[in-house]
Amino acid sequence: MATREALAHVRLRDGVAVIELVGDLNAAAEPALDEAWTAATRERPDAVVLSFENSGYINSTGIALVVGLLASARAHRIPIRAYGLSDHYREIFEITRLADFMAIEDDEDQAIHGAIHGAIHGDAQGAGGDGNG
Amino acid sequence: MSSNDERPTAANRDAANWAKMVSRLKVAQVPDGAVNLNVDGRQLASPIQGFGKMWQKTYLVRLPGERIAPAEVIATWRRQFGDFWPSGNHFYGPLTGIEPGDVALLNLRMPGGSKLSTGVMVLYADEESFTLMTPQGHMFAGWITFSAAQQGDETVVQTQVLMRASDPVFELALTMGGHGQEDRFWGETLGNVAAHFGCPEAVVDTKVVCVDKRRQWSRWRNVWHSSAIRSAIYMAEAPIRGAQNLTHRRHPAS
Repeated sequence: MATREALAHVRLRDGVAVIELVGDLNAAAEPALDEAWTAATRERPDAVVLSFENSGYINSTGIALVVGLLASARAHRIPIRAYGLSDHYREIFEITRLADFMAIEDDEDQAIHGAIHGAIHGDAQGAGGDGNG
Repeated sequence: MSSNDERPTAANRDAANWAKMVSRLKVAQVPDGAVNLNVDGRQLASPIQGFGKMWQKTYLVRLPGERIAPAEVIATWRRQFGDFWPSGNHFYGPLTGIEPGDVALLNLRMPGGSKLSTGVMVLYADEESFTLMTPQGHMFAGWITFSAAQQGDETVVQTQVLMRASDPVFELALTMGGHGQEDRFWGETLGNVAAHFGCPEAVVDTKVVCVDKRRQWSRWRNVWHSSAIRSAIYMAEAPIRGAQNLTHRRHPAS
C-alpha cells in the first residue's frame, strides 16, 4: 500500500498551538508527532488543536499515537481539540471513544474559539481527562 | 491533486479495515465450551476510559526476513490467533480468522485456578497489522496491536499493548504480579509465533513505558462491570444452576 510520509507543522494562533498533520498517520509518524508535540507545548500554550485537514490514511497505530498525545496533554493539563476530520475518521474517533475526551470541531475557527472558551471555563473534556489523578 | 482531493481516497483505502460503529457489543455465536459472560451489551473501552496508570508495553521478536514475509506472519496470526496463546487460555473467535468488527470470547486462566470470562472486538485489521479493543469490565481498558514489518533483513513481529487497568481491583492485581503475568503471556505467545515459523530459539524483547502515571479516580465505578467479580459470582453460582437444570429435566414444563 502506497503511503505518504507524515509531517507535522506547528504554529501559534491566539495563544493556542495548532499542530497541522500532513500525510499518513501510522507507526512511521511517531517521530514527527513527538517533535511537533514538544515544539507545541514548549511555550505552554492555552490549548493545543490538532488539524487533520491535510492528513491522509490513519491506521490503528496512528490512533494509538493520538491517544499518547491525549495522555500527555492530560498529564500537563493542556486542553486539546481536533478539527478537519472526514466523516469516516470522525466515526473512527467515535468507535475508539477518543471523541469522549477530545472535542471534534468542523473547522479551525471553531476549534480555536472552543479551546479558548474551554480554557477559560476549565472544560474537562478539552483537558483530555477527568484531571483528578 | 490537492490534499483535500485525496481525502476520500484515504478513507476508501482503509474503510474495510476498520470495524463499523457499534454502541454495544453483540456476540454472534457462542462456540461449544465457551462461556459467554461480560461481553454482550458492553460498550468498548479505550485506554482513556480506564482507571489505572496508562502503560504502553511492546513485545517483539525478530525473524529472518528473507524467508518470512510480514504479510505471511499476519495472515497466519489472524487465521490461527488462539492457537498461539499459552495453554489454559482460550480465544473463541470466528473459524475464518480475525476480521474487523468480529467479537471474540476469551476464557482466561487466572492465578489460583479461577477462570475469567471476557471478550474483545477486532477494531482494525489489514495485511500488516490488526488491533483488538477491550469492552467494559475487561482487566484493562485499551488496545492490543499485532504487527509485522520489514526492518533490514529481518521481519519484526510485534505485540503492543496500550492500556490502563479498568478499575481499582485490577489496578491492585496488576501491581501485585499482574504486569509480570501479562508480560509472560505475550512473551510466550510471540515465542509460539516464532516457533511456528521455524524459530523456536528467537528471543522476545520487552519494553514497558508508563505513558501517564496518574490514576483516574473518578473511574473507580468501573468496578461495577468487573469481569473478575462477575466471573467469580458466575462460578460460585454453578451448583445452583446445576440443581435448577436437574429440576427442569425431572419436571419439564408441559
